[in-house]
Amino acid sequence: MSRTATPVPESVWRNLALTPSLAVFMLLSLLPVANLVAMSMHEIRWEDGRSTWEFIGAAHYARLGGDTLFHKGAYNTLVFSVVGVSLQVFIGFMLAWAVSRIARGRVVYRTIFILPILVPGILIGAIWKLMLNYDFGLANGLIGVFGFLPVDWLGTASLALPSVIMVDIWHWTPFCFLLLLAGFESLPQELHEAALVDGANAWAELRYVYLPIMMPVIAVTFLFRFMTSLKVFDEIYLLTGGGPGSSTEVISYTIYRTFFTQDQMGYGSAMSVAVLFVIAILLVLGFGLSRFRRGAA
Amino acid sequence: MNHGITRRNLSLGTVAAGALGSLAWAPSAWAQTAKQTPFTIVINSSPWFDGFRKVVEAYEAESGNKVNLDVNPFGGSLEKQRASVRTKDGLFDLLIMNGLYYQEFYHGGFLTPLNDIDPAFKLDPQMIRYDNTVYWNEATKTHDPAGKLMSVPVNGNIPLLMYRADLYEEFKLKVPETWDELLANAKKLHNPPKIYGIVQRGARGAPNDVSYDWWPYLYSFNGSLFRDEAKGDFTISINSPEGKAALDFYIRMAKEAGHPQTGGLAQAQIIQNLATGKAAHAMLVIAAWSQMDDPNKSAVVGKLNATRAPRSANGKSAPVLGHWLGGIPKNVPKARQTAALTFLNWFQTRGAQVKYLQSGAPPVRQDVLADPSFASDPKYRWMKAMADSSAVTRQMWTVPEGSQIGDVLELRLNQAVIGELTTARALNMIADEAHAIMVRGGYKTGKITPLA
Repeated sequence: MSRTATPVPESVWRNLALTPSLAVFMLLSLLPVANLVAMSMHEIRWEDGRSTWEFIGAAHYARLGGDTLFHKGAYNTLVFSVVGVSLQVFIGFMLAWAVSRIARGRVVYRTIFILPILVPGILIGAIWKLMLNYDFGLANGLIGVFGFLPVDWLGTASLALPSVIMVDIWHWTPFCFLLLLAGFESLPQELHEAALVDGANAWAELRYVYLPIMMPVIAVTFLFRFMTSLKVFDEIYLLTGGGPGSSTEVISYTIYRTFFTQDQMGYGSAMSVAVLFVIAILLVLGFGLSRFRRGAA
Repeated sequence: MNHGITRRNLSLGTVAAGALGSLAWAPSAWAQTAKQTPFTIVINSSPWFDGFRKVVEAYEAESGNKVNLDVNPFGGSLEKQRASVRTKDGLFDLLIMNGLYYQEFYHGGFLTPLNDIDPAFKLDPQMIRYDNTVYWNEATKTHDPAGKLMSVPVNGNIPLLMYRADLYEEFKLKVPETWDELLANAKKLHNPPKIYGIVQRGARGAPNDVSYDWWPYLYSFNGSLFRDEAKGDFTISINSPEGKAALDFYIRMAKEAGHPQTGGLAQAQIIQNLATGKAAHAMLVIAAWSQMDDPNKSAVVGKLNATRAPRSANGKSAPVLGHWLGGIPKNVPKARQTAALTFLNWFQTRGAQVKYLQSGAPPVRQDVLADPSFASDPKYRWMKAMADSSAVTRQMWTVPEGSQIGDVLELRLNQAVIGELTTARALNMIADEAHAIMVRGGYKTGKITPLA
């Protein structure tokens, strides 16, 4: 009697091959999150050199509901991300479109436009803190030439958040520019030629040809950048420290102070888990929206 | 008769000064003989660090012992210290802890009482006790001199009132003893944007700006955060009429003679304004002094002088501590603990403290601070103010929850300075939020009648 071996389906091999790396990834990402969740349900104290973990259930989460600073941080983070990223994508799109139309010297422009993204965050903080200094800053020096009084860009409650958003736009627009330029460069040249044949001017071409066709790239760029923008920390830490008052308080900075400055590990963990949860929902919504658009197309 | 200094007298004087200096820096016998295992100090990179490093190098040269320095930014040093003491085997043998956070190491039971390492060890009587923060009574959780010796002072950062002595001379002003006198002087010198009468740390800091700057006002107006911390009464009393008077005066100073953007000024901007000649007064920690007389960093070399923090009309001068203490963790081997203590023992000698001073750091021995041979040197003209302040300096708080309360203070005080909150509302909010923190911490606490 002869036995014929049943071939193992390719999908099984694929899954088997992926399993080790998936396991490592799950271990590295899920374990810290699990630890964070565990910490968020405990009050952690140190006595006689040892930690004591007192289970308090959802008490830390309940406390979040009445924490006005946490709420202000969440609100400011949303404003920072929506306004900042929208402008970054808009400016990045316009720059990418302009550069994509240049036949010669494109590399030079591309290099110039991406320079800010190469500067380390700590330097950006130092540069802009000096530029926006009330007494000695370049910004006030420039407006002084036109007869304007000096402005405390970072020390005035109504101006501090817009000032930090401006710095963020300067820093991160190149990221959007690069992604969108790649999108433009992947489009077939025939599109442009067809638009020319149809007599479309540059604006019409942008409005009726490139904008619709680039929409998926714009959406992905916005989504990527929005996700990273929600984590803003370095610019706030270096430029304003959340002040004046709570005008530039953002969620990452609130968590940092709670966790590290105040050493409230349980409460800081609860904040982190809550933020993680919200970002996960946004991510699911974002990808759902993206899939819906693809389906509609 | 010629009273001028002749070249011969100058030479003799130089030789004599050199000889005295050598005597002051004569190596102590025990340090030469006490061979110890290498140990590691974790420390912050504050402006006085260079002086500390030079003293450590002198110790190594004199004793032959090896000392490793782990140097970090302020926040980084705290993080490393926390991480080290919370593991089974600590990495660092000597923690240089700031006055704002050493409490968590005392309360958490992370440090070894120094006499547990060497029962014979004594803090030199000339070493400044800094409001007794070197002692810890485990039972009462207070800085009781009858408790155990937990640390040795390493740096005595105290805010001094720095003022433009050249302008004082020009305008024939008297060095202020009260806040009212300071305000009057500041108003006379206030000529913005050329020069501000005073610059204040009104920013919401990380960790502390506005609260640290305001605290000498609070204490000298007879206000306090807690009703009687030393006796274990943690009733929140910051929103008392005295507290309000102190905050009202602080803001009045900013409005009438201060920087137009006081709410945005942190310590770096205060130093910047003072060093560039744009400020006539500032309350600044002594660590900032070294750059004021450095021609590469300052436009006011030789023009500044310092005095003790002023007081209210019916109060006492109360500069607050921002000092640094050296403590030895429990979770390191005995040999390394002994090595660290040997260094601290050497560090508190007069010779080491003179070297410390000459290396650019303020000493922590009263006899060195008050030594007329140094104090009369124009280079050390801040020393009298420092010696006067060290005797009356006070700690802001002694509970580890201070780090949480500090954040509350920074936010609400800054909101009062920038006009987002009235002083009464800001202080009432601080009281409510600080009370909640103390309740969570399990303290005997309470609240006083809120301000109207």
